[in-house]
Amino acid sequence: MKRSSDSSQYLRRDERPARKRPIIVAAAVPATAWLIIFVLVPGIIIGVASLWTSDLYGLHPIWTLHQWHRVLTTPLYFMLLLKTMRIAVVATAISLIVAYPVALYLSQLRESTKRAALTIIFIPFWVGFVVRTFAWLPILGRRGLLNHVLLSLGITHAPISSFLYNEGAVYLGLINGYLLFMILPIYLALDSIDPAMLEAAADLSAGPWGRFRFVLLPLSMPGVLAGCIMVLLLNFGAYVTPALLGGPSGIMFSNAIAQQFIADNNWAFGACLSLLMTAAALCGLFAVSRTAGMRRLLAPGETR
Amino acid sequence: MIRLRGKRPQRLIVALYTATVVLALYLPIVVVALLSVNDASVPGFPIRHLTLRWFRLGLSSDACLAAIGNSIGVGVISATVATAMALLLALSVRRDLRIKGVIVNVLFVPIILPGVVAGAAIFTMFRLLHLPISLWTSALCGHITYVLPFAFLSINSRLQDFDRSIEEAARDLGATAQQVALKITIPLISPAIIAAWLFAFSLSFDEFVRTLLLTSYDRTLPIQFWYMIVETLAPEAPAMAVIIIVISVATSVVAFYLRGPTKKRILSA
Repeated sequence: MKRSSDSSQYLRRDERPARKRPIIVAAAVPATAWLIIFVLVPGIIIGVASLWTSDLYGLHPIWTLHQWHRVLTTPLYFMLLLKTMRIAVVATAISLIVAYPVALYLSQLRESTKRAALTIIFIPFWVGFVVRTFAWLPILGRRGLLNHVLLSLGITHAPISSFLYNEGAVYLGLINGYLLFMILPIYLALDSIDPAMLEAAADLSAGPWGRFRFVLLPLSMPGVLAGCIMVLLLNFGAYVTPALLGGPSGIMFSNAIAQQFIADNNWAFGACLSLLMTAAALCGLFAVSRTAGMRRLLAPGETR
Repeated sequence: MIRLRGKRPQRLIVALYTATVVLALYLPIVVVALLSVNDASVPGFPIRHLTLRWFRLGLSSDACLAAIGNSIGVGVISATVATAMALLLALSVRRDLRIKGVIVNVLFVPIILPGVVAGAAIFTMFRLLHLPISLWTSALCGHITYVLPFAFLSINSRLQDFDRSIEEAARDLGATAQQVALKITIPLISPAIIAAWLFAFSLSFDEFVRTLLLTSYDRTLPIQFWYMIVETLAPEAPAMAVIIIVISVATSVVAFYLRGPTKKRILSA
């Protein structure tokens, strides 16, 4: 619709003749077919599988509500879901607090240094998630960097083993792991603010704090929301971080699902847990999207 | 450029704070790099002697070499297939198709879905249909599905600010739709296509949990690395980590600079 509004009359001929349409429609077929086969069909299948019977040899088309009954009556899974949500929300909140000043600083750099600064921020996130998470083991472990420094400075006399395998280590790994996805949208929002706004605020005798509080902060809210949604989703689905740094008590919902497929071979139950997790994620998204337009948040300047 | 024009101490505090955060982001990488050349049979501190033997050990192990080959193979195939489909879709969706809204919404599903769920769903489908679970079947399909939306978003954002008058000029001179696409549009957006390909490659190269569920005996580099640290903390693990770092960073840096200076484009990546 946007096209016809912004092209002037002499472009009207661009409204394609009907006989050329099939090629254009055909171009959309491969990706659409792919999405149907590998997103929609698996989605339906996992819904069906959650109602079937699973044993060591696989799934059998014997309909049962056993899995759902087990999920809904075992407090363990609800507790785990709540714990996963709590970790995701807290890690996102800390990420926001850590990321905002960084994004603010980046947005105030000169154009020439911005590019270099952005590259410096990007590089750690290109390293590979498993590798970056693994690195906390030789930092926080008994023979790790932290214990080494503490021992050599004489602050402690024996290595401390409680730095790892707890929720704190999971927070550290998650925040370090996904910080870029918070910094970037906030930076983009701050960077697109018209400097005239700040000048106007200054003319109206707003100090640095006033300019931040009444101009930058409200205008950067779309970036804040976009970052929070992205980081919340990533934290919620975390698998590697809790598995490597969380220890037995630190597992999250993704780990419980993978367990059903990798170790327990209970696909029907795994399907059930997957649907529960997806429902929780969608509810969270829905709650946020009521405050702001979903599509705008996920892809600013995108289509429509 | 926006300046708060705060007093110098305030700016200095924000600068120091940013530096601290950046240091914290680089700490894991530095530690891994140090350990990869440390002569100790269990990765850890203190650093004793410098050695390259963990790199030799890693690069001479068949499993590790196979994993490197697998990762590059899956990355190249999934990036190529996904970029091709994304390009066609982006070109098609530009003309206001009725189903555009639906397609774009479905496209976001692989981004929103937790990785474990995406992997589990494709796993269940392959098992139910008695299709083989392996790196080159189920895992490859999982990778393509995962990187497709990202490839689409980066190509599409470039097409959005593409000067349509060039295409219209070509059409006025009698070019067909295919000729315009092949001779005008695609060559002009080729940096964005290459960037999308490299971005898709690095996403696939870094993918972990989908692959864990969807592969059988063949391992990608992150999976191989995972078993190296989970089963036994192998002494060559940090060296393997450095190899992963070098490949990932190299492709990503190229992609970043091909992406061009438009800031908006970074987010849609």
